Amino acid sequence: METSRPTRRSLLRWGTGAAAALTAAPALTACGQAVGASRTTKQAPTRPGHKVKLVFWTWVPMQKTVDLWNRTHPDIQVDLQIIPANVLGGYQKMYSALTAGDAPDLAQVEYYELPAFMLVNGLTDLSAYGADALRGSYVPWQWNQGVFGGRVYTVPQASGPMGLFYRADLFAEWGIDVPTTWAEFEQAARVVRARGDGARLCAFAPTQPAWFAAMCWQHGARWVRTEGDTWIIDMNDDLSHEVADFWAKLIRDDLVIVEPDMSSAWYAQLQTGRIVAWVGPQWGDALLRGNAPNTSGKWRVAPLPQWKAGENASANWGGSSTAILQGSRHPREALQFAHWVNTDRQAIDLNVAAGYGWPAAADAFRGSALDKPDPFFGGQRYNDVFAASDRAVDTSWKWSPTSDADFGHLQNDFGAAVAGQGGLVSSLADAQKRAVQDLLAKGLKARSAR
Amino acid sequence: MSGTIKDTTGGTIDDTAHGVTGQGRGSGAGAGGRQRSARPDRAAWGFLLPFVALFLFTFVLPIGYAIYESLLKPIRSGPLGLGAAHIGFAGLSNYTLALKQQDFLDSFGRVLLFAVVQIPVMLLLSTVLALVLDTLSSRWASFLRAAYFLPYGVPGVIASILWGFLYVPGVSPILDLLGRVGLHPDFLGYNSVLWSVANVVIWEFAGYNMLVIIAQLKAIPQELYEAARIDGANAWQTALRVKLPLARPALVLTGVFSIIGTLQLFAEPLVLKPLTSTITTSYTPNLSAYNEAFANNNIYLAAAESVILALVASVLSFGFLSLVNRKGRSER
Repeated sequence: METSRPTRRSLLRWGTGAAAALTAAPALTACGQAVGASRTTKQAPTRPGHKVKLVFWTWVPMQKTVDLWNRTHPDIQVDLQIIPANVLGGYQKMYSALTAGDAPDLAQVEYYELPAFMLVNGLTDLSAYGADALRGSYVPWQWNQGVFGGRVYTVPQASGPMGLFYRADLFAEWGIDVPTTWAEFEQAARVVRARGDGARLCAFAPTQPAWFAAMCWQHGARWVRTEGDTWIIDMNDDLSHEVADFWAKLIRDDLVIVEPDMSSAWYAQLQTGRIVAWVGPQWGDALLRGNAPNTSGKWRVAPLPQWKAGENASANWGGSSTAILQGSRHPREALQFAHWVNTDRQAIDLNVAAGYGWPAAADAFRGSALDKPDPFFGGQRYNDVFAASDRAVDTSWKWSPTSDADFGHLQNDFGAAVAGQGGLVSSLADAQKRAVQDLLAKGLKARSAR
Repeated sequence: MSGTIKDTTGGTIDDTAHGVTGQGRGSGAGAGGRQRSARPDRAAWGFLLPFVALFLFTFVLPIGYAIYESLLKPIRSGPLGLGAAHIGFAGLSNYTLALKQQDFLDSFGRVLLFAVVQIPVMLLLSTVLALVLDTLSSRWASFLRAAYFLPYGVPGVIASILWGFLYVPGVSPILDLLGRVGLHPDFLGYNSVLWSVANVVIWEFAGYNMLVIIAQLKAIPQELYEAARIDGANAWQTALRVKLPLARPALVLTGVFSIIGTLQLFAEPLVLKPLTSTITTSYTPNLSAYNEAFANNNIYLAAAESVILALVASVLSFGFLSLVNRKGRSER
């Protein structure tokens, strides 16, 4: 594919690039060169009878959806290229392609990464191509993830509204009511520890800062905001402290298993009933189904536990958009495809089958492939829970342009904390300090909120 | 064939060009000797050209480019820095920033600690294996040699995945067995994971280093062994007094390679990272640079960190070489 077989053209370009670097090096001629994308989007004239070809990079196997488009839209042919997922190589590839001026027309970019793409001028301003008119077709908070300075930069694709997956059979056996508040959640954890013969309610994954961010998001924390020209990082706030304290207590009292989630050990414990619940996203259903087949029919889904009884605060973990990268020669056609792939009912059903997450299109859920009783969840219409969760996600959460690095710091600090070197709460203070340093190192204005 | 040529051309040698005689007959006139030294030089450069070209393009050029990038930084303007931006000269600010990062400095401390423990253990193991195999009968020796060398043929990433499965509780048969006798070691813990990585590296490279040492031992003339035997040395004394000192160049070589390899530790911790939260994003200097470049998208800082790593590696390697050389001279 793209990486394994360099074309003659790309080799030539590499050669000239290397030669240019050689001659440029002593004179430092790059000063004044633009950061990031070296080619900007421009609409090429379309000739009748001439096919438009679009390249689409994603790590979700959406070939069937693309095939459907190519069958029904003979004039605009999309070439789907599967790339490594997000930080596992996908974004690196996109950044390199942007710098080289050779980016694909369309690419999957997660919400948290969008500000970083803005920083390298990697996204096409879609408002110039009429994207504002599409606003009503999408869930508002997801649409807003791609709006910067009042302009639209991406089309939302899917998200991960959260809920509580739990083993209904074991909860009944041990006499546990489904927790509706975090206090009840803690009580349930104590009961599982007492009656569960070595089982624990759930795992705490120090390796999953995006999950922890979602927990703080639910509680009302806002880690990132802006004041004038300055990015303000506010991870070390009281609400996040409460979340950290809560999980620190569960860890201290040996009520949760501390280990990376989505690891072989974690899957083994789900399968054997050593772990009986998961505060997880909607797209986690496929993980449970695929990795704990023995437990089929025993799982149910409940709404996220609340901090105050009777509230209905939700959170989101994950979420992607279909972006039109800088340098495309067919932004109008690319936008047409991006809108179709995320709102067409048949496309959504095919995407759901490919495991792309929770549709970002408004009202896409009713009547879709998601709107069915599911035998793995004992016949529950479990996606009703996630539909409600999606509606309750607070829309004002923002990400910083250095989210990847922020996650890295939290992960490092949490790792040390669960090993007895520091605590979860002090991790937040440390991560906040480092997040500000990262922003400053990128040449941005930034400060801590407190 | 040469005979006939001599016969037929014998009378005309003086008329032909000097070059032909010089080339055709090996030794002799001063003039011919000078020409000999000039021409093969050009030929040697011809042979060297592919290497030099690759060396320039894949080694010198990337290093030069890294140094160049380490001196740049983005300068931003506009609302929230999301407006126009350009790349400007940064002076040494990337270097000062890198050296101010405690994580980056810690990563050097970590690999140095790793080197101080892992390299001696590995080289001791390699030397002992080499000495033992050198005395074994040839059939067994060649089988064992191949067996010990085999892990080197396994790519580092695959080796780390293999060992990763043996380290994870609930999946690892080793931990299962230990658990049955009441032992619950944590191979991926805060203090133990470094040595779990060391174990993978030893497994990978002990056999390779053993082979280098064996090659050196094979080059020792048999007369020296005979002389030692006649002088009444037993196998133990031969190994200690004859073989080890003569295998010294191989030990120095493997030592230098190991120092460089340790500083560049990358694949093993990166592969084990998802299994444990105790391996941080800046666990080793290389991981730190990788993280800056690809997670933080700050290639300029990453370039500075890489240059610092290269400097430290060369200082340590040359320092080690001059240390053993000086010691070697004083012993003689």
